[in-house]
Amino acid sequence: MYEIILCGRGGQGIVFLTRLIGDIATERGLGVISSETHGMAVRGGSINSHLRIGPFYSPLIREGRADVLVSLDPAETANNVHFLKPGGVTVENSPGPDDSAVRRIDASRLAREIGRVQLENVVVLGFASTLAGFPVSSEEIAARLSKDPRETVRAMNLKALELGAAFGSGRA
Amino acid sequence: MTQHTHSDVRFLMGNEAIGRGIIEAGCSVVAAYPGTPSSEVLESLVRWKREANHPVYLEWSINEKVAIEVAYGASLSGVRSAAVMKMVGLNVASDPFLSAAYLGVRGGMVLVVADDPGPHSSQTEQDSRFFAWFAKVPVLDPGTPAEALEMTRRAFELSEKYEVPVVLRPCLRVCHARQNVRLGELHPSVEVGPFKKNWQRWAAIPRFRLILHKELNEKLKTIRTEEPDAKPQAIVNGSGNTLAVITSGSVSSHVRDVVDSDQRLAGIDVYKVNLPFPADADALQAIVDAHELTLMVEETYPVLELQLLDRRKVEGRQSGFVPSQGELVPETVEDLIVSAAGLQPTLRTPPQVKPRRPTLCPGCPHRPAFFMIRKVFGKAVYTGDIGCYTLGINMGAVDTCLCMGASVGMAGGFVRGFKAEEEATLVATIGDSTFFHSGVPALINAVHTKSPFVLVIMDNRITAMTGGQPTPASDYLVDGAAATPVDMERLVTGCGVDFLQVVDPYDHDGLEDTLQKARAFTYDERKGVSVVITRRPCVRVPNAELSSDRFLVNDEVCDHCMTCIRDLECPAFHYRKDEKRMEIDTDLCTGCGFCVHVCPAQAIEPKKA
Repeated sequence: MYEIILCGRGGQGIVFLTRLIGDIATERGLGVISSETHGMAVRGGSINSHLRIGPFYSPLIREGRADVLVSLDPAETANNVHFLKPGGVTVENSPGPDDSAVRRIDASRLAREIGRVQLENVVVLGFASTLAGFPVSSEEIAARLSKDPRETVRAMNLKALELGAAFGSGRA
Repeated sequence: MTQHTHSDVRFLMGNEAIGRGIIEAGCSVVAAYPGTPSSEVLESLVRWKREANHPVYLEWSINEKVAIEVAYGASLSGVRSAAVMKMVGLNVASDPFLSAAYLGVRGGMVLVVADDPGPHSSQTEQDSRFFAWFAKVPVLDPGTPAEALEMTRRAFELSEKYEVPVVLRPCLRVCHARQNVRLGELHPSVEVGPFKKNWQRWAAIPRFRLILHKELNEKLKTIRTEEPDAKPQAIVNGSGNTLAVITSGSVSSHVRDVVDSDQRLAGIDVYKVNLPFPADADALQAIVDAHELTLMVEETYPVLELQLLDRRKVEGRQSGFVPSQGELVPETVEDLIVSAAGLQPTLRTPPQVKPRRPTLCPGCPHRPAFFMIRKVFGKAVYTGDIGCYTLGINMGAVDTCLCMGASVGMAGGFVRGFKAEEEATLVATIGDSTFFHSGVPALINAVHTKSPFVLVIMDNRITAMTGGQPTPASDYLVDGAAATPVDMERLVTGCGVDFLQVVDPYDHDGLEDTLQKARAFTYDERKGVSVVITRRPCVRVPNAELSSDRFLVNDEVCDHCMTCIRDLECPAFHYRKDEKRMEIDTDLCTGCGFCVHVCPAQAIEPKKA
């Protein structure tokens, strides 16, 4: 069983990440259910996704039960940190050093450096995939992203993923 | 909805699963109007249709009333049909909905009506199961995306078997949940034979309606007593006799997980009702009678609870035990069940959540339109409408929001209440899709009654809030088939409007001039309603005309008056308190350049590449 909250602002690609992880879990034959935000809130408002891998029926994670919080916007972390279980880890898109509960990566800067700030979501996912216990590996994510028929999008996503994963494994 | 040719299990959104169920059932006609949380059903059908090379006909109808009528016509012609909408859409469509229940259907007809407990993106928390009860229409209530697919197929069979429309009521937590879902077999179009004329049935006058009402009541009685879905199913067997929980739909999934995750709750019996109306009330009562206490957990009205005749051993919304408003999130469900079991609920400190408010996108053409409306009309009353542009509230340019089309209808009443000495003015704002949906009759009303107000139709060429669906002005249907675009100017003129001007909202001076002329027509010359169409495509559509220009704030000129943040409300502006300077986020800026004209200090300059 593994439960993930993903949060950020509308337009940052939270739903894309949720689907990516869910697709991989589905392909592996795992039970997976998630919930995502649509509607008015996606106009720049606060949004989050819940993703649960295991024998669940409800798509929502209760407070204090998530294994990891993946935050694409540091301003949104505080709005979702109550979902984390004691000892749970936050992965945050922000500059600055790690502390005991928060692992940080300046994904916006890294994404901008490869040409598109919009790739920050994939950079953060690459970073998160290097966490101990994270349910999908960067190889599985890469295999999934490689299926995108659009050549430029595919190449950019793979590059963003590699950047995040390299940062997480101390290679960058 | 990603492709897996080698596998029949996919990670599907609830709305995609419902779309799949519709096509698996051999449905031939689907008509819908977009609305959160229902919009992805028809959008997924476009992809299912393409993938399966299925002949199903798909349309975004002009509104929900027409969508139900299109589906109903198709059903009478002998094919299976569906209409899809959000719950407030059923209010718009209630006339054909209630009448169709009496007349009955031929080909199976399913109304997918998505509810929004919370509410997250809606005006009300109404329960469509309750509406179905009022209409005397059976309603299925799925708990997960996988169940939604199965139930969609069963809904068509039930409808055809009893010749009644059937409602499928998914809540937001089913619509916008994703789950690994096993796909079923695709059926070719199911048909029941061609339409046979019979005016006593299909054009029944009141005398025959009485007979049809009796037939409908008999159908409901049979469904209640004979259909397995009307009976409560045990989903968790505690084999105790102390506490039972009776539940339905999306909230049943929270109930199941809460009971499964807590050993202390192992003795509880949980029952789920798939068809909450007409439910087998005798079977429900038997559960209540067999337990010391029964807790009713359902979204959002007490539909099952009210079908119980003896509620003395029942806790629910009627007894005040379950809150009467708000979504039943898993934490609430846990507290309810734990309390009902006589245990101490977990102490919760409410999380310190400060959600960022939604705003119009950077570069949104509505922003300059609202800014200029405020500049020209100042303290006027602003009736608003349903869509992205409801966010004009952030700019002080929307004072009311009632329902689809009400900006125009309400304007006609507001102006009658103004006192002559006040020199009161009124500007109504409405989007293009909402204007087509229900603004047109209200505009005809305003013309006919010489109502003095200015109507601004904010035409971004798309239904933006719900994800960019085409409108009647588009030259294509949802699946790309050719459509006849309806010309908005001809439509407005056809309503009898004598003042109509179209303007690009990015054109600062042209926009101001046009609004001044409308003001003069309506208020100085007292000639009645004037209409201004502010036209520019939404910045989120693929063919948006985005600029590569970027701008910066000259720190030496900027006097920190905050007009760009407070009045223009552009999200690309950030005031750095630490450095006491204004800056423009070039990641967010779309280069519309409207701020250059708006800045009183003229501090915004083009950024050199």
